[in-house]
Amino acid sequence: MATAKRIEIREMDKHYGAFHAVKSLSLTVEPGEFLVLLGPSGCGKSTALRMIAGLEEITGGQVLLGDRDVTHVLPKYRDIAMVFQSYALYPHKTVAENIGFPLKIAGKTKAEQDAAVADAAAQVQLGELLGRYPRELSGGQRQRVALARAIIRRPAAFLMDEPLSNLDAKLRGFMRAELKRMQKDLGVTTIYVTHDQIEAMTLAHRVAIMRDGVLQQLGTPKEVYRDPANMFVAGFMGSPPMNFVAGNATGAGVKVGDRALSLEGVRVREGTHVSVGFRPEDAELAAPDDTADLVAEVFIAEMTGDETLVTLTAPDGGHIIVRAPPDIEIEDGARVGLRIDPAKRYYFETDSGKRLRADD
Amino acid sequence: MAADLSPSPTGAAQASASLPARSRGERLNEWLDRNARHIFLWPAVVLILVFSIFPLVASLVIAFSRIRLSGGGFQVRFVGWRNFDKQLFGSEQFHFLGTFGPLSLMGWVFGLAVTAGVIWWIAAYLRAGPTFIGTLGRLFPWGLVLGLGWLLSYTALSGRPFGTLLTTYFYVLVGCAIQFVIGMGLAYLCSRAIRGRNFFRVLFFLPLMITPIGIGYTFRMLADTSKGPFSPLWQAAGLGDFSWATDPWAARMFIIIADSWQWIPFVFIMLLAAFENVPRDYSEAASMDGASEWQIFREITWPQIMPVAATVMLIRVIEAFKIVDLPNIMTSGGPGIATESMSLHALFAWRSLDLGQSSAVAYLLLFVTVVTCVSFFNLVVLRRVRS
Amino acid sequence: MSLFTPRRVGHMSPGGSAITYLLLIVWAAFVIFPIYWLVITSFKSVNDVNSGPVFLPFIDFQPSLHAWRDLLIEDWADTSRSYINSIIIALASTALSVLIGSMAAYALARVTYAPRLSTVLAFVLCMAAVLVATMAYGVDWRLAGAVAVALFVLMVRGLGNRIAGRLGNGDILFWMISQRILAPVVVVVPIYMMFQSVGLLDTHIAIILTYAVINLPIVVWLMYDFFASIPRDLEESAQLDGATMFTVFREVVLPLSKPGLAATTLLVMILAWNEYLLALFLSTADAQTMPILVAAMNAGERGILWWTMSAVIVVMILPVLALAVVLQRFISKGILVGAVKG
Repeated sequence: MATAKRIEIREMDKHYGAFHAVKSLSLTVEPGEFLVLLGPSGCGKSTALRMIAGLEEITGGQVLLGDRDVTHVLPKYRDIAMVFQSYALYPHKTVAENIGFPLKIAGKTKAEQDAAVADAAAQVQLGELLGRYPRELSGGQRQRVALARAIIRRPAAFLMDEPLSNLDAKLRGFMRAELKRMQKDLGVTTIYVTHDQIEAMTLAHRVAIMRDGVLQQLGTPKEVYRDPANMFVAGFMGSPPMNFVAGNATGAGVKVGDRALSLEGVRVREGTHVSVGFRPEDAELAAPDDTADLVAEVFIAEMTGDETLVTLTAPDGGHIIVRAPPDIEIEDGARVGLRIDPAKRYYFETDSGKRLRADD
Repeated sequence: MAADLSPSPTGAAQASASLPARSRGERLNEWLDRNARHIFLWPAVVLILVFSIFPLVASLVIAFSRIRLSGGGFQVRFVGWRNFDKQLFGSEQFHFLGTFGPLSLMGWVFGLAVTAGVIWWIAAYLRAGPTFIGTLGRLFPWGLVLGLGWLLSYTALSGRPFGTLLTTYFYVLVGCAIQFVIGMGLAYLCSRAIRGRNFFRVLFFLPLMITPIGIGYTFRMLADTSKGPFSPLWQAAGLGDFSWATDPWAARMFIIIADSWQWIPFVFIMLLAAFENVPRDYSEAASMDGASEWQIFREITWPQIMPVAATVMLIRVIEAFKIVDLPNIMTSGGPGIATESMSLHALFAWRSLDLGQSSAVAYLLLFVTVVTCVSFFNLVVLRRVRS
Repeated sequence: MSLFTPRRVGHMSPGGSAITYLLLIVWAAFVIFPIYWLVITSFKSVNDVNSGPVFLPFIDFQPSLHAWRDLLIEDWADTSRSYINSIIIALASTALSVLIGSMAAYALARVTYAPRLSTVLAFVLCMAAVLVATMAYGVDWRLAGAVAVALFVLMVRGLGNRIAGRLGNGDILFWMISQRILAPVVVVVPIYMMFQSVGLLDTHIAIILTYAVINLPIVVWLMYDFFASIPRDLEESAQLDGATMFTVFREVVLPLSKPGLAATTLLVMILAWNEYLLALFLSTADAQTMPILVAAMNAGERGILWWTMSAVIVVMILPVLALAVVLQRFISKGILVGAVKG
């Protein structure tokens, strides 16, 4: 097996005419690391991945694979395998021919191909399906074929472009676990593109969050969840995502409606628009009295089984979602108070989305 | 995607730097690979340049020359516009344009009606906000319609024979119209829930496969009023001595019927595919709303197949301008020049070794074909596709 | 409930369906009758043809094999030579134009080309100059060619900076497809002279090359749509696995385009098989094709031998009809999927 290689991207740019799709992206993926590129659709993550693969021309910057500058090297000389969202299985070839295709191109003998195909198919538990055609397979099986075709060549790196998004929810959870296990076993450097933050949280060693072609934050899943760099990252991670209430900074704190939330040591000029963020699990419902941090109206309560998600209409008109015990009894339209854990509040400049920290 | 399938120079350098010494075969493969983008495209470009563009330009030179074939070679003398002059204004005018003379009343009425129509068209365009390029481009169809209209007034409508230009347009306009209407009707019938659809589909397609030469001779047999299969009918109608080949209009219709027999299948098979591609939901929803079959066709089906129909007719018109085999076989252009198309005109000129005239006629054909097809494309196909 | 109200949802009314079938059957008769007449004429004796119409074999007239005997035994040498010529020319020209045309169509669907407008202009000017010089002024073509090449290089250098425009794939595609507008009579005289000057008149090569070019626009047009509709993922995946453009084309693209390829091949082969005008110019005896043989039946001093001619036409259309019936599945699916999109 080719040893896992480091992938380094230096100030990579992509222009489509006047449109700047990827803006000066710099990243280093360590050998054997599983890095997830996360962001909403159109954020440039797929373009970035395709540039790393060599399928898209690079407008500016460099891509290094190991010690080699591959910026202008054709895809086929890069020693990279890619799994596409559509799986890109050849409909006119059987499963075995699909998996063995990279070796066929490499000019390996039939015997070598067969042995490697059997080996790769065993790794993804496809043994008995080798004679079938892709159209005869289920979504999950096609996914496995695509994986087997990627691993058979023992590439220096894997690139995956939303490989799980065509599967139904249940299968997706299962394949996610398999994928993680396989990547660990093979120890191949992997870059994985997705818009699904749960995939990112569960799979990644590190997550790179992009928006409008710009890298927002790079860190472990725990870091980006617990210490988001800005309001966009905070709002993108978590399900349900972080709540924000908008207010104005005063001497005492942030004035939201008729209440003021303490700033917990964050210094900010008076009159600045400040948004206070908190996770659904970091607030609890209470009586709408003077001790509550906020008072809001219940919009709807949804029991999901092990908990109840209560959606509230905040004083600024936005919605707030709070996790509550499953057995809570609550009326739609009732006024409730909200207590927010002071240690788990995040402050952002509303206009720029910039994070405000206590030590700033 | 802008990713290039061909290696960039640096890429190739990188690749060769990282590979060990290779055999000649591998070097050849790499060379092929590096130049793949050219190897894929150039054979087609070269073939077209040599056998299409080069002859096209050469033909233009010939059209302005007088050529004498002598022994194995030929002599060329540049004569300027003389070949065109002869066709348009000179001794061949009757052959190409028709015989001119005083206008009849009907000629006046028709000519003025066409002129009024073109003026109305120009006015409508000018009101809609003209552009410089748009106006320039429309000058060609405006001029063409005016010219053809008055030509028709001066010749056929004033009781005089017309030339190969109008005969060609007769084949194109009348033939294509007939083929479009019948072809679409058949396609519509076949697209409905009928038994034996596949049988009809194959059967109706067959004439397209038959060589035009064969069709020409077969229709000559069929049309024979004394020995053909319909001769009992002709005799019963008292037309036993009538001959298609001696009456100009009968001869032209005769060619159009044979041409339609061959080409209706083309319109049919293309429009059938178009009809079958129209999603059923729309017409089902409309029939739930109580629309009649005619309303469904006009409001739902027709707008959806219109772009395809326009494209199909464009192809058909392009091919129709080339008509040559049928008149050549069926009537040899006769009686007189009544059924002679421009292609046949050029062919006859070549046969009499007058290559200059032949090329001049061919170029005139090319000119009217391009003007007609480009106008049709811009004014009908593009507009329908956009809307 | 009238005759024209459907009895069941999704079905036609009894009246509507009667009219539909009636119209279809009338048209079917119109399509079949000429073919039927052709076939029975080939089995008629001279007398049966000349003495007014007879319709039904064994009832109206006694079928005779004399025309077939003439064609297949007496004139066997002539018939078989034309037949073999037609087969060779149809197959070879089809193979050539489908191969070259689909390669060009694929390249245009996937690779970005940007030829300079100035280069194209310079080329056209130089070619026109060479032709005028050689044809109208009798300059030796080698001299004119050499001067033109030098001129071309100079013009490309000089114009390159002044005229900045570039053409794109769409322009190349349009240029190729628009060649179909050219009526054969426009180009056939120079093609005739070209082949005459290299001594290739009345050879297979001349006709094969000409037919291949004439049909190239159809191949490019039909196959371009087909290739453009193939998901790029498949090709990109193969590229990442190390495949060259040739491998991608052979292993991925062509197998996926089989329906379109089959339909295009069939169409082009039929056009080549039936072509008459160009063959008339380019062949005299050795390379004579079937349509020429058919037309030559007209030339005898005894007038048209309708019986023999019918037999020749039947022989000529039989393989095509067989192909059409066998491959009609491809015709309705293949051609038309690509073409109908416009």
